[in-house]
Amino acid sequence: MKMLNSFNLKRAAAGIKRINLDGLRWRVFDAKGQILGRLASQIATVVQGKDKPTYTPNRDDGDMCIVLNAKDICVTGRKLTDKVYYWHTGYVGHLKKRTLKDQMALDPTDVIRKAVLRMLPRNKLRDDRDRKLRIFPGSEHPFSDRPLEPYEMPPRQVREMRPRARRAMIRAQKKAEQQQENAEQRQQIADEMKNGKKIEAQEECA
Amino acid sequence: MNKDKIFKLAKGFRGRAKNCIRIARERVEKALQYSYRDRRTKKRDMRSLWIQRINAGTRVHGVNYGNFMHGLMKENIQLNRKVLSEISMHEPYSFKSLVDISRNAFPGNKNVVVPPRKVAL
Repeated sequence: MKMLNSFNLKRAAAGIKRINLDGLRWRVFDAKGQILGRLASQIATVVQGKDKPTYTPNRDDGDMCIVLNAKDICVTGRKLTDKVYYWHTGYVGHLKKRTLKDQMALDPTDVIRKAVLRMLPRNKLRDDRDRKLRIFPGSEHPFSDRPLEPYEMPPRQVREMRPRARRAMIRAQKKAEQQQENAEQRQQIADEMKNGKKIEAQEECA
Repeated sequence: MNKDKIFKLAKGFRGRAKNCIRIARERVEKALQYSYRDRRTKKRDMRSLWIQRINAGTRVHGVNYGNFMHGLMKENIQLNRKVLSEISMHEPYSFKSLVDISRNAFPGNKNVVVPPRKVAL
């Protein structure tokens, strides 16, 4: 599903005529540096309209949600390589799978879309709610003329790192520091060599 | 006689259930059973809907439903959930004052507060 950016943008503005009311707000979520599932659950509550006191279960009243920077979404642990999306095509023995990494390479918006869709209740309003979700891999979107409202995520309580992971992280940091020092030393030596050559060249000329 | 009553109750049913007496009788019996059961579950559903609405209304102001009701109980405000949900829908300013009362009644709440999101009301 590799699409050119312009084609994607045109397609993203499609289907808006099907959405009835425009007493709805346009909420903008910035996915940069957010954890996938936690962001998706917030989006799901907003798209259902559960943050409004006029929530009615038989009527779809959720706000339009725009998600930007979908390719900068984060996951913890080894999920980039270990999280697998399975689906069955219906034919016997055809259980297909794809890892998160490959999915992000193919279509980064699909990751968030799947996450949110699977958090919505499975009823007749699910497709309408899907139509209200617009996800973009970058930060450009064709809705700049609408009254947009940024959504502030609630602060996250980060759990303390487990001791083994912490030690590994410290080791990695030390390694990175040493590499930087080596690189700096090499640069210094290279500069001295260049200066030495220049001085020799000047001496030769002079 | 009985047939007419049954067909009267079977209006709007799908397919042969509204026309043929044998099928209609079964469907009507089931419908009456469902309506008996649902008259009781309607009370539960409505209460849960009120609670969802109150929850949404209070989270806009930075308090969640549990702490809100705790504060109201402490202040001995005996408004029930039906009325509270109506207030949260139609009278936003009165509802805000209720939320403030609840927040002040239980200063310990501030530790557990859900931070308000910047929403332009």
